[in-house]
Amino acid sequence: MRAEAASIIGAPVGIETHEQFSNPAQQKHAAELGMWAWLLTELLLFGGLFLIALVLRYQYPDSVHAAALHLKFWIGAANTAILICSSLTMSGAIMLSRLGGQRWMVRCMLATAALGSLFLVLKGYEWFADWQEHMTPFLPGPYALEGDAQSRLFVNLYFVTTALHGLHLTTGVAILLGLTWMAKQPDFLVKHQNRIEIYGLYWHFIDLIWIMAFAVLYVVGR
Amino acid sequence: MSQSVTPEDRRKLWEAMRVPVFSFVALLMFLAGLVGLGWLMPGRTASFIEAGLTLCMILTVLLFSMEVREESSLAKFYSFLGFCWLSILLCMTMVDYLTR
Repeated sequence: MRAEAASIIGAPVGIETHEQFSNPAQQKHAAELGMWAWLLTELLLFGGLFLIALVLRYQYPDSVHAAALHLKFWIGAANTAILICSSLTMSGAIMLSRLGGQRWMVRCMLATAALGSLFLVLKGYEWFADWQEHMTPFLPGPYALEGDAQSRLFVNLYFVTTALHGLHLTTGVAILLGLTWMAKQPDFLVKHQNRIEIYGLYWHFIDLIWIMAFAVLYVVGR
Repeated sequence: MSQSVTPEDRRKLWEAMRVPVFSFVALLMFLAGLVGLGWLMPGRTASFIEAGLTLCMILTVLLFSMEVREESSLAKFYSFLGFCWLSILLCMTMVDYLTR
């Protein structure tokens, strides 16, 4: 006799309401608003760094151009594509959480974490290649653009910005793996579906910041 | 009981994933444009087009991936306000440099 196949979606979905909220919708709305408030402070943090990059580009165009030519343009482009792919898998996880497809949601979350990790590996290789090419003016040793003092400002800014983004992404991958572990529990979607939605906002925001960083550091500086 | 994708599942999944897939394709196309310009026309020649493409990518992520268009009015206001503050920061500082 042929075994009946079960649907991959359609499991019960819900939110366990905390006592301070009158209903699940209010709780979800409050959580989303809280996440947005935090993301806006993050936007202003990175905004200051992007502003410095634009000022340097305007004040010292030749130095920034010389330094930007040393950046690994294709690794930056590949990393942007990787984060765009990870945004798609994260959207997949969110949609599956809404539809009650727990098993595939967990797979999408794992794929997102894997793509985030791939980004970090490529970024690590890029920094290693920069170090090999003596493009790390903040470290002892020779600097490839020794006679160009202003280029140091741009290169240092590049490392600060990409390291700060890398820190956010590392934290993001760690939280995502923790959330994935929790999401494997049988009653997770019945009680905590909104956690996937709220976390998804953070992941897309990391993608958004990298898109700005790629444009400002790698493209406009060239 | 084994799990498999039924035609009904496929229909529901496509319905849910249509917007994320289209925004994914749009983002890759904008990225291709940005990379092409950065590679073929370095320097200030295409700066405005590059800025325009970046803005398109930002709006795509905000409106479709982060679903701001479906958020409550207050969340829409928050996200709009954040980019307003950023614009004030960028504009006021750059106006100073550009008019010296």
